[in-house]
Amino acid sequence: MRELILFGVLATTYLMVIAKRAPALIRSFRYQSFFLFLITLVAGYTEKQINLYFIALLILILKVFIIPHGLNLITKKINVEENLGLFVNAQLSLIVALALTYCSRVFSETLGFGMDYRLAAITVAFSVIFIGAFLMISRMKAFTQVIGLLVMENGIFLFASFVSGGMPFFVEIAVFLDVFVSVIIMGLFIYRVNKLFTHIDVNKLSSLKG
Amino acid sequence: MMNIFHKQFFLFDPLSLFFLLVIFIISLPSAVYSFGYLKGEYSSAKITLTWFLLSAFVLSMAFVVTVGNCLVFLVFWEIMSLVSYFLVVFDSTHEKSIKAGMIYIVMTHIGTAFLIAAFLVMYKYANSFDFFAIKNACQVMPAQTKNIVFLLLLIGFGTKAGIVPLHIWLPYAHPQAPSHISSIMSGVMIKTAIYGIIRFVIFILGINSSWWGVLVLILAVITCLVGIIYSLMERDIKRLLAYSSVENIGIVLLGVGLAMFFISVNLPYLAVFSLIAGLYHLINHAIFKGLLFLCAGSVYKATGTRDIEKLGGLIKKMPQTSAYFLLGAMAISALPPLNGFVSEWLTLQAFFLGVFNVTGGTRLFLGICAAMLALTSGLAAACFVRAFGITFLGKPRSHYAEGAKEVALSMKIGMSFLSFLIIIFGLAAVKIMKLLAKVAGGAIGLDTGAMSFSLNSFVLSPQAGKDIYLSTPLLLLMLTLLGTAGFCIYMLFGRKRVITYRTWDCGYYKLDSRNEYTATAFSKPFRIAFSFFLMPYRRTQKIRESFYHVKSFTYETHTTLIFKKYIYDPAIALVFRLAGSMKRIQPGSIHLYLGYIFVTLLLLIIFMHRF
Repeated sequence: MRELILFGVLATTYLMVIAKRAPALIRSFRYQSFFLFLITLVAGYTEKQINLYFIALLILILKVFIIPHGLNLITKKINVEENLGLFVNAQLSLIVALALTYCSRVFSETLGFGMDYRLAAITVAFSVIFIGAFLMISRMKAFTQVIGLLVMENGIFLFASFVSGGMPFFVEIAVFLDVFVSVIIMGLFIYRVNKLFTHIDVNKLSSLKG
Repeated sequence: MMNIFHKQFFLFDPLSLFFLLVIFIISLPSAVYSFGYLKGEYSSAKITLTWFLLSAFVLSMAFVVTVGNCLVFLVFWEIMSLVSYFLVVFDSTHEKSIKAGMIYIVMTHIGTAFLIAAFLVMYKYANSFDFFAIKNACQVMPAQTKNIVFLLLLIGFGTKAGIVPLHIWLPYAHPQAPSHISSIMSGVMIKTAIYGIIRFVIFILGINSSWWGVLVLILAVITCLVGIIYSLMERDIKRLLAYSSVENIGIVLLGVGLAMFFISVNLPYLAVFSLIAGLYHLINHAIFKGLLFLCAGSVYKATGTRDIEKLGGLIKKMPQTSAYFLLGAMAISALPPLNGFVSEWLTLQAFFLGVFNVTGGTRLFLGICAAMLALTSGLAAACFVRAFGITFLGKPRSHYAEGAKEVALSMKIGMSFLSFLIIIFGLAAVKIMKLLAKVAGGAIGLDTGAMSFSLNSFVLSPQAGKDIYLSTPLLLLMLTLLGTAGFCIYMLFGRKRVITYRTWDCGYYKLDSRNEYTATAFSKPFRIAFSFFLMPYRRTQKIRESFYHVKSFTYETHTTLIFKKYIYDPAIALVFRLAGSMKRIQPGSIHLYLGYIFVTLLLLIIFMHRF
């Protein structure tokens, strides 16, 4: 069961890598967050912790509904329906993503968790972190930087929940709030950038440098 | 931890006390002078600021020469450098001051970097920053390490002292500070570097091999000649004096280097004697250069310009300042019986004694050094004839000089005090040499009580039982007698007719100031004689209306500053090129910055996996 959900997380991450347009990216992010919710739910069920149920609920509300919804609103408002601006095209991105997954696998083996499902989990967690960072680098629009950060956050959450059986409850809550606030701020930021420069192409911001 | 009242925190040996004396006898008249100088020149807030900076400057120098711990030494050394930087950029509205300050602070920090390196090497052996602990540790330091430490110290202190390839900041920084500060900087601050060399190389490190002294001598000779030649070419009176300081530091270093050489060849008596000569010239230079800078400040205050081509005829407008300047110029040109003569004579004698006491190639080398010193003295005399003649004699060459008035009383007090010292240090040479013998002996670590310098109350002689003597009081007497005799003969048999005529008219009629001899013209023979070094070039520009009628004609002549052109400009260009290529990794793209982080992360992970 767990393996299946982990596979889902990885698959949605690959979907993000090949996404060319903003709505597709947000949809994939929503799916990824949903798989994250499922994993937390299963973990809560097997370890019989009420905290985890609560966190799973938070994931569902924040990451599956509110944040993607907010992002959708922004895209509608500033009309970034068109291309995300790929530095690296979709096929190559997928190859890079696979390579990063391989790297994560190799790296996870060095951490010494044995060969059970946790190795797979950590591999997936690292892949998600790396691919999130890769998304931030290889896409032009400021919008993708926000999503890349959220993906990385998902990866970190995944990693934490498998290595230590989840972070303390209050830390988790604080991280959620952080992410939520940062998304709001970055949404505003993107909105302002768009208003000021009539585009959100981060690549063009370098012309500001003296 | 460090206890300020620990007995090693301060070190009051004769060497420190001597430098303390130098600091205070120059700072005191300069401070008095500044009352008159600053008035009307700056706003009252700025005057208050100079007083604060002046006090901090003098105090930091006093600490530099009296602390007994390398770390504390460095702290005060740096305070001294920074405070003097603030004084250099004091006229912060001028573009020139900022540039001068920039050059100064960069050079001084390069020097400090070398000092820190030297101190750290010493610390490694001594496990302490205390002077005496290091002194003990230096006994067991390997010769190779000692050589390195010596070179580090020489470059570090040489930058502050203005040894020739490192002198570049001096002619920029010294003229830009207010004049009383220039006088302290040129008179005293650069001497703290000499203190450093004596304290750390001779006293603490101990002389290892004879090439140290030879190296210092070679550098000193080059410094002397380059300093005075540039000084001869200079039009800005304060820059002229600054270059002359470079020359005089060279003469001081001749004494110090000779002492180092004599220590290494085991001639302690001569070592002490050479160091006496060096220290004597050091205090003399502090006095007359202090005086000359104060006079230059008075000229600037009275006329508003420092360009000697625009001055002239000031002896009628400012008789007292002119007299002080003349006295200073005579002292710096080593005319008897003034103090400059005594110390240069002693330095020359030290060389001659060296020639008699060593053999082989070194003998020739010392002889050449002595000849170079003589050449330097001659050029210095020419330089100051030019400086005094063009500035004070003749007719005013511009409206600046025409409107000059004698300066305020406090400025005259400052200058007269130093003039008085010039005469005292000339006449009381014997007494002073006795005191300096203690200082030099203490620095080298010898008891000078047993050494006979065959001094009695009038005559000083470098070696007992030889026929070389010098007595400044007797010289004064002789000069007075000769002068009186000449005057009497003139009065008795000379022409009684007195014609009052225009200045520098040469019997012609109605020559105006534009027909006069100029500073550039005066230095032309030297420009030609040293053209291999100065590389003068001229630029002419004619604008013609027709072939037969030249409407305007401009003529410029310049000299090439070879150290700037061939050492500093390429170095600066290299730094900028490197900085430019470093800049390429900063394109301002967020993706690239994120990419740097990402790639670093990946590399670290791969690295961790490997090892």
